[in-house]
Formats: sequence, structure tokens, C-alpha cells
Amino acid sequence: MKFSVTKERLLDGLQQVQNVVSTRTTLPILSNVLLQARGNEVFLTTTDLDVGVRGSFEANVEKEGATTLPARRLFTIIRELPSSEISVEVDGKNAASIRSGQSFFKILGLPEEEFPPLPKFEGAKTVTIPQKDLRDGLRKTSYAISTDETRYVLNGLLFSFKENKLTLVATDGRRLAMVDIEVEFPRSHEAEIIVPTKAVTELQRLLTDDGDVKLSVGSGQIAFDLNNTLLVSKLIEGNYPNYRQVIPSEAKERVTLERETFLNSLRRVSLLASDKSNSIKLNFAKNNIDITANTPEVGEAKESLPVAYKGRDFSIAFNPEFLMAPLRNLAEDEVFLDLIDEMSPGVLKIQTPFLYVLMPMRISS
Amino acid sequence: MPANQTAPPQREIIHLDMDCFYAAIEVRDRPELKGKPVGVGGSRDRRGVLTTCNYEAREFGVHSAMPTFMALRRCPRLIVLPTRFDVYRRESGVVRAILHQFSPLVEPLSLDEAYIDVTAHPDAPAAIAQEMRDRIFDATKLTASAGIAPNKLLAKIASDVNKPDGQFEIKTADVANFMAQLPVRKLWGIGRVTEEKLQRLGVATCGELQKFSRAELHEMFGKWGGELFDLCRGIDARPVEPERERKSLSNEETFVTDLNTLRECEDKLPELFEELMAELAQKEPTRRITKIFVKLKFADFTRTTVERAGLDPTLANFCALLSDGFARTGKPVRLLGLGVRFAEMQPEETQLALL
Repeated sequence: MKFSVTKERLLDGLQQVQNVVSTRTTLPILSNVLLQARGNEVFLTTTDLDVGVRGSFEANVEKEGATTLPARRLFTIIRELPSSEISVEVDGKNAASIRSGQSFFKILGLPEEEFPPLPKFEGAKTVTIPQKDLRDGLRKTSYAISTDETRYVLNGLLFSFKENKLTLVATDGRRLAMVDIEVEFPRSHEAEIIVPTKAVTELQRLLTDDGDVKLSVGSGQIAFDLNNTLLVSKLIEGNYPNYRQVIPSEAKERVTLERETFLNSLRRVSLLASDKSNSIKLNFAKNNIDITANTPEVGEAKESLPVAYKGRDFSIAFNPEFLMAPLRNLAEDEVFLDLIDEMSPGVLKIQTPFLYVLMPMRISS
Repeated sequence: MPANQTAPPQREIIHLDMDCFYAAIEVRDRPELKGKPVGVGGSRDRRGVLTTCNYEAREFGVHSAMPTFMALRRCPRLIVLPTRFDVYRRESGVVRAILHQFSPLVEPLSLDEAYIDVTAHPDAPAAIAQEMRDRIFDATKLTASAGIAPNKLLAKIASDVNKPDGQFEIKTADVANFMAQLPVRKLWGIGRVTEEKLQRLGVATCGELQKFSRAELHEMFGKWGGELFDLCRGIDARPVEPERERKSLSNEETFVTDLNTLRECEDKLPELFEELMAELAQKEPTRRITKIFVKLKFADFTRTTVERAGLDPTLANFCALLSDGFARTGKPVRLLGLGVRFAEMQPEETQLALL
């Protein structure tokens, strides 16, 4: 195999795939990136057996062929090379010679045949969505995915295909984010699958605001085809909890809030939320919310927020991080906060199909 | 039923009981012990008792609270391990956190047992219990048994039915049948003495006990008879009460013969101290201690308490307090107690669970 390429293209290509490479793996081949030179393209593939990515870059291929090279080492070398022109030549023993300007590197690889092939998706059900829509949906939900390993099925994002809607759901058992994306697919494609966190994170890096992404759902696995990049992932097996039942069907009080103003107030007041309990209080009174926090033996903070509110006076406590997370990840100027009482979940909404359900904190004295 | 009268909401209570918790942890951490009889507790030469033992040991007639020497007589191959309360507490914390994922109403009875009121949870209680046990196993590799019922009494009885690693539900409609068959010994508060007393009256099951009127039971057993009337029908209105704040913890003993000298009192101290420390580790492992005290009751029923702030709960410190207290009167001592007082807790704030 022999090709030459600009430094920029090679770096871009490696950057797209290198995150998937596991740092602590018992299988040496999984630390490697598969390089396949064909026509005027070089294909790059990495996998940790759960998630795999394939990308490509244009190159001047002088001799077709394939090998695998240590991914991180290759990346750090390419990044440091002095000239913008790079040539890579691999001999029959998978030793790669990398030349650029006055520099020469030789790194040892492993044969192509040892690299585990990415799964095939023949006969899988496919759904096509604008990349922008999926990217936006992931941004609005993925921060609520659980990191608690005792709740395995929550360590991923639910993709529910139903009635020409893709519903994305993430929850850690204390808050839940959900978004609906309009998309057309036949009835036979209705399904509920759980995509693991790592794949969601990678997908968010790869999605752009242009073009479409084609989802192929096979048995126990999913592929996301983004024009020139392919992401495949195993799915989390198990039943996602019945999330519909935790969404309150009614609201007693609704306030409309300017997202940034609200977020900034929360950020400031939460500086005085105690590390241990980590709660802030929203104290509702006529046309005003007082946001308060205090830490015993440290001090307290209070900020008033004028709002249109005519309901009864009451206080509700939340974990400030949980309240700020959706506000950071939304772009809308206005958000609506629906509440029932101090022990019932609050719901944050916007004009489009999105909601964030958050359980309050109980403060007993 | 008249329209303006609504029945109290049907409660859903789970009693979750870890299977031979301490022994199971030891076997998990030392796989070479698997399949062998294992007990955890005090050693033979120090008059120790077993805190718990595994099922392999139970086959030999060994049980918890049995003196170690007796356990070893019944099962000479029994492996007796010292307790590791720090480990048990840590695992108990993991279990408790999982229980709190389902309801804020968790009432721990000890490190390995708790009541959970899941009435407010939308899922069926048996499914919740199964999920709790699955999550506990995933997180700790330890098995638990669960009883599901409309009240605490029945839930606790039910958790024993399919033990170990099982669960059993007593539905409201089945309570009457279940209770009719149940041996009276299974009721809370009925020990061997009461059981024998009832046997003489021809009562072996709760069904048979139900034939007595409340007044008759009251006459036979005093105030407790009234409670028994409800218990044998499976009625128990006690709410599940989440942890309450304890202000102090103490351990005391009344002696059969009075202790006449300071030396005699001091000899009793180590055992009282050990028991207090074990209870402290089990019940209040994290609280800050502000004071320690020694309580003395004398032969003439007068009493005195010596209390000091800022002293750590060590045997030497309790000894010093004891000698102060003894010196106050010099009278023979009939009761000796040691204890600690805790700093007030900060108001508790808990994140409520959604799912």
C-alpha cells in the first residue's frame, strides 16, 4: 500500500475515528486503525467491538492495499509532522514508512486480517433524517443520560420510532429529557431501541447541520450513515422503563421565563448551594420568584426574578445542576416551567415538542 | 359504601431482607469459602456469639445469635470469621441507595433489612421488588429476599416464605386465607413462652387465635392482647417511617448481684464497651459524637450520670468517668450504662426519584 496526502486531510480523517479506540484494551488490534487504500480514497476504521466508526479521505493512491497501525501513535506523529505533504508506504510485514519534509518515521502495524469486521446491515430497517434534526435532538436530551452503572438500561438514549415520530428519551431516574422529531417511515419500522452513551457521544461529534443521516436498525445493532462516515453500535438490551407515566398530565402553575436570565440567576445563586445537599429553592410569590441557596456555616445567596405569576405562594427545591442542564442546551429565548406542588415533578417546555421532567428535592427539618 | 366515604388508600409495603448478609459478603470476597459453612462473629475463646452464618452452616443447626463454642460443637468444620462492619456498612449504603431509587419512604431496621412503602410508585409492587433485587444483585453480587404485602407485619412474614433469593406477595384478597394457616409463632412478639401458653389453650395457628374476642385476649395478655387481636388477622396500621434522628445511643446492664467495688465495676466495662461500639458502627456510623457518659444506678435505686464533652469514646475515657461516678457515693452498683450523645444533624435534603 502506498499513498500521499495533505497533512490536513489525514488529520481530519484520523480525528473522526480515533475517539472510538479504547485506551485500555486486552486486544492489541483494537488499539489500531484499519487503513484501506482503494481508487483515490483511503478508508479508516476503528472499533472497540461495541462501537465502530468508518471514515475516509481523498488521497493520491499509488498502490492499493490495507494494513492496521496504532491509532493514537499515528495521530500524534501526523500532528507533529513539519510539512503539509505526507507519503505513507506499507511493506509486506505491515511496517509503515511515513515521510514528510525532512522527517522519516517507521511504525509497526498488524495485519488487516486480524481486524474485526464491522457488522453487516443487510435487510435492516432504514429511516432517513436530516442531520440537523438529529443533532438538535441529541443536544436537547443526551445530558440527562444516567451514568449510574447499576441502571444499565439507562446508560443510553432511547430511540422510539412510532407513528411517524422519532422520540428521543434520556433519564437518570431523577430527571428526564424527551424530544420528538417528525420523520416518515412505514409502520413496519416501528421500534424502540437503546443506543449506548458512547455511540451517542460519537454521533454528536460526527453530525453536522447539512445533509441527511440514514439509520439502519438490525438485530441488536444500529448503523448511522452520514454520507462519508459510518458509525455502528451495539444496542443496550433490556426494557426501557415506562417513561410516559412520569410525565405529569396537568400543571397547576405555569411561568414563562427568559432562558438566559433564568440560567444566569441560577448559576450565581448556586455558588452558595452546599456541596453536601446541593439544592436551591425557588420561592414563588405574586409576580416574583426568589431563588435562594444557603450553606450552613458558609453563607447564603438570593436573587429575585420578576415573572408573571398569580398562583399561590410556595417553595420548591431543585438540584441546581439538574435545572441548569436543559437551559444550557436549549437555544430558545423563552422557556415555560410547569409546576404542581413542592413534591411533584416540574416540567420545562419550549414552543416545539420537547420536555424536561425534573423531580424536586425533599427538604425535611 | 356512601359516596362521601372513601376507603383509605391500599398500601403497598415491601420488606427487603438481604440473605445472610455478613456471611454472604465474606463468601463473595473470599471465593474459596464458597460451599463451606461460614459464620461471622466473636471467637470461641472470648465468649463470642455468631452475628450471622450462611445456609451451609444452618444445615448443621447453627444459627445467628448462637454462642460460637456451641456452633462449633454442632459444626466442627465451621469457619468463624471476625466481623468487618466497615465493609458491611458500605454494602448496606449501596443497597439503601438502590431502595431510595423507588421511594423516599425507606425504613431501615438494621444494615440488612428495610421496609419500603411503594404505594406512590406506579409499577406493581411485585415488579418493583423484583427490580430492586435485580439492581442489588447487579451492584453487589448479593442476593436479597422480599415480601410484598399491604402492611409491615405481612410483608415481613412474606419475605421469609421464599428465602433465600426469592420473593412472595400477600395480596389483600389472600390475607384471610394466609393468616388462617399461619403458625402463631410467626407473629411479631410471640416467643417460645407465649407459644407454649397458647398451645395449652389449643392454639397453634392464627386462625385458631382469631376465635378469641378482643376482651378475652386482653384478659390473657394484658394490653398486648389487644394488639394480638389485630396481628392474628393480619391487621397492622404502623406506617413506614424513614430514618429518625437519634440523639444518643447507650448500652446498659442490670446485674443479678450488686457490684461492691470500683474494680468489680471496671471488670464489667469492656463487654459493655464492645457492645456499644458494635451498635454504634451498625446504627450510627457517620454521626459526630459530642459527649460520652456513664450512668450508675445504686442498690438503693438512686442514680448518677457522669457526662463529658469533647472526649472520644474509648475504653479508657469511659473508665475515668466510671471512677468519678463511683466516687460520688461509694454505694453498691446494680446497673451500669455507657453511652454517647450526637451532634444535631443538618436538615436532610434528598433528591426525589422520578423512575
